[in-house]
Amino acid sequence: MQDHSGRIAVDGLSKRFGTVEAVRDLGFTVEPGLVTGFLGPNGSGKTTTLRMILGLVVPTSGTALVEGVPFETLGSPGRVLGAVLEAQGFHPSRTARRHLLVCAAAIGVPDRRVDEVLGLVGLAVDADRGVGGYSLGMKQRLALATALLGDPRILVLDEPGNGLDPAGIAWLRDFLRGFARSGRSVLVSSHQLAEIGQSADRVVVIHRGACVYQGELAGLGGGRRGRVLVRCAEPVTLAQALVAKGLMEVDTLPDGRLAVGGADAVLVGDTALAAGVAVYGLVEEQVDLEQLFLQLTGGVAG
Amino acid sequence: MIAPTASRMLRAELRRTTSVRMWWALLIPVVLLALSINVFGGVFSSSLSGLGGETPGVLLASLAYSLSLGSVFAAVHGAVQASGEFRHRTITTTYLTGGRVPVLLARCAVGAAVGAVYALGTLAFGLVAGLFGQGSATFPSPGPLFGLIGSGIAVCALWAVLGVAVGTLVTNQAGAVVLLLVYVLAIENVLSLILRSGADAGLGTGPPAIARITSYLPGNAADVALYDIPAVELAGPRYGNQAVESLAGVASPPPGWACLIVLALWAGAGVAAAWVVGARRDVT
Ligand SMILES: Nc1ncnc2c1ncn2[C@@H]1O[C@H](COP(=O)(O)OP(=O)(O)OP(=O)(O)O)[C@@H](O)[C@H]1O
Ligand SMILES: [Mg+2]
Repeated sequence: MQDHSGRIAVDGLSKRFGTVEAVRDLGFTVEPGLVTGFLGPNGSGKTTTLRMILGLVVPTSGTALVEGVPFETLGSPGRVLGAVLEAQGFHPSRTARRHLLVCAAAIGVPDRRVDEVLGLVGLAVDADRGVGGYSLGMKQRLALATALLGDPRILVLDEPGNGLDPAGIAWLRDFLRGFARSGRSVLVSSHQLAEIGQSADRVVVIHRGACVYQGELAGLGGGRRGRVLVRCAEPVTLAQALVAKGLMEVDTLPDGRLAVGGADAVLVGDTALAAGVAVYGLVEEQVDLEQLFLQLTGGVAG
Repeated sequence: MIAPTASRMLRAELRRTTSVRMWWALLIPVVLLALSINVFGGVFSSSLSGLGGETPGVLLASLAYSLSLGSVFAAVHGAVQASGEFRHRTITTTYLTGGRVPVLLARCAVGAAVGAVYALGTLAFGLVAGLFGQGSATFPSPGPLFGLIGSGIAVCALWAVLGVAVGTLVTNQAGAVVLLLVYVLAIENVLSLILRSGADAGLGTGPPAIARITSYLPGNAADVALYDIPAVELAGPRYGNQAVESLAGVASPPPGWACLIVLALWAGAGVAAAWVVGARRDVT
C-alpha cells in the first residue's frame, strides 16, 4: 500500500546493460524534510539509478520504492513525484504552454496551474514560443515547471543546474531548500559537490555504480579536522614544544612548514611564543570536501 | 480509480496530438487524394463496366478505393504519433505523468479517432468530388452509403491502431513509417501474389485453402471490408464476391463484416505486442 510518506527507499538495486554494471547493490533512503544529494562522477550510475526509481529502467535486481510501492503502481504519479531528468525532451514545435497543458491534463490538475508554474520558473513571457527555440537553461526551467505541476511531495532532479545561469542556480538551491523545509523530499544528483554542497542535508556518493559514502555532508570528512600550517624559524623546536603539549599530529611538509592537526592558530601561536620560536606565517586549513569527494570517487588524489 | 485515469489519459493524448501539426498535415493529402480519385471515378468506370456496373456503384467503389488509401495515412499518423515520443524524447515525461499501459491505450483511442476523421474527410470530399466529376453519378442510396461510412471509419480507425502499435514497437520514427509503407505497398501485395499463384496450380474446384489466406492479411481484409458493399452495388449480389476478388486482389473472400473482425484481431495482436514490449522496455 502506498503510504503517502514522501519517502523513497532503494534496496539492493542493480542494473546491468550488457557487460556494463551501471549500478551495483545500491541502497539508500530519501527522507521527507531533507535535501538528499546524489553525487558521483560521470558514468557512475546516477541517471540510471534515478530512472530505476521512476520505473523508466527495469532493475536487474533489487527494489526502488516510492512511498512504499513501485513508481509504476502509483495511482496518480504526477501528484506524488515530479522529476527533472537528463535527456528529457520536448517536441520542438509545441509551445511551453501547450506542453504544460498536456501534462496538466495527464496529471489531472486544472489548467490555471500551468500559468502558476510558468510564473514560478520565470517562463511566463516565453510561454507561447515553440520549445525548439529555447535555450538549454530555458528547457531546464520548463522541465522544472513540468515537475512542479502536480504539486508533488517528492522532487527528483538529475543535474538540474545544467545550463542554468548563476542566478538560476542560486534560485534553484533556495527553492529546493524551501521545498524540503515544507516537509517534502528532494533527491538531487550532481557530479560536482559544489553545486549540492550548500543545500544538501545528506549525501549519497556513488562511484562505478556502488555506494561509497552516505550520511551527513559534514561526515564526509570521516572525522578529519582542520590543520594549522606554520612557517617558523626553528621547526624542530616548535614541533617538540607542540608534542609536549599533547599534540601528536605534527608533520613536516615538503616546503619546510609544519602541519599541526587537531589544533587552532591561537594554540599554535601561543606555543611558539612560549618556546621562543619566531613565526613567519600561520594558516588554518579547512577540510576540503571537494578534495575528499575526489579521493572518494577515484578522481585526482588529494 | 480506473475511470478518472482513463479520462485524464485521453484528454492528455488528445491535447498532445492536436498541439502539433501532424494530424492535419496528413489530412491534406488524404483530402487531395479523395478529391482526385473520385472526380474521375478512378479506374472503376472503365475496368468494371463489363460487370454491368451502375453509376452509384462506381462512385461507392471509388470512395472505397480512396478510403483504402486514407487508411494508410491513418496508419502512418498512428506510427508517427507513437514513435515521435521516442524521437523527441518526450516519452519520459509522458510515462512519468501516466502509466505505460494507460498511455498506450489512450494513444490507440486518439489514433483511432484521427483515423475516423480521415475516413469522414475522405467520404465527404470524395462524395462531393464524385457527384460533380463523375458526369452521370447519382447520390448513392442511404443503405449502402451508411454501410460504407461505417466500414470506412472502422477500417481507418483499426489501421491507425495498428500504426500506433508499430510506432510503439519500432521506436525509430523513420523505421516505423518505412516498415508500414513497405508492408502495405509491397510486402502484402507480393505475399498475396505468391499465395494466389497456388490457386492456378490447383486442379480442384475453387481456390485452394492457401489462396484463401489472402483475405486474412490486414491490408486485404481492410479492402474486402471496404469493397464488400460497392461490389454488390456494382455487380449485383450474384457476382459481388467476384467483384470483391478483383478489387481487393484476394481469393474467395469471407463477408465484409468478417474481414473487419479479422482486421480488429490484427490490431489487437499489434497492441498486445506493443503492450508486452513497451511495458518492460528501458527508457534511457
Ligand atoms: N541504455 C544504456 N545502454 C548501455 N549502457 C548504458 C545505458 N545507459 C547507461 N549506460 C551505462 O551505464 C553507466 C552509468 O551511466 P549513467 O548515465 O547512469 O551515469 P551518470 O552517473 O548519470 O553519468 P553523468 O554524470 O555523465 O550523467 C555508464 O557506463 C553508461 O555507459
Ligand atoms: Mg547522468
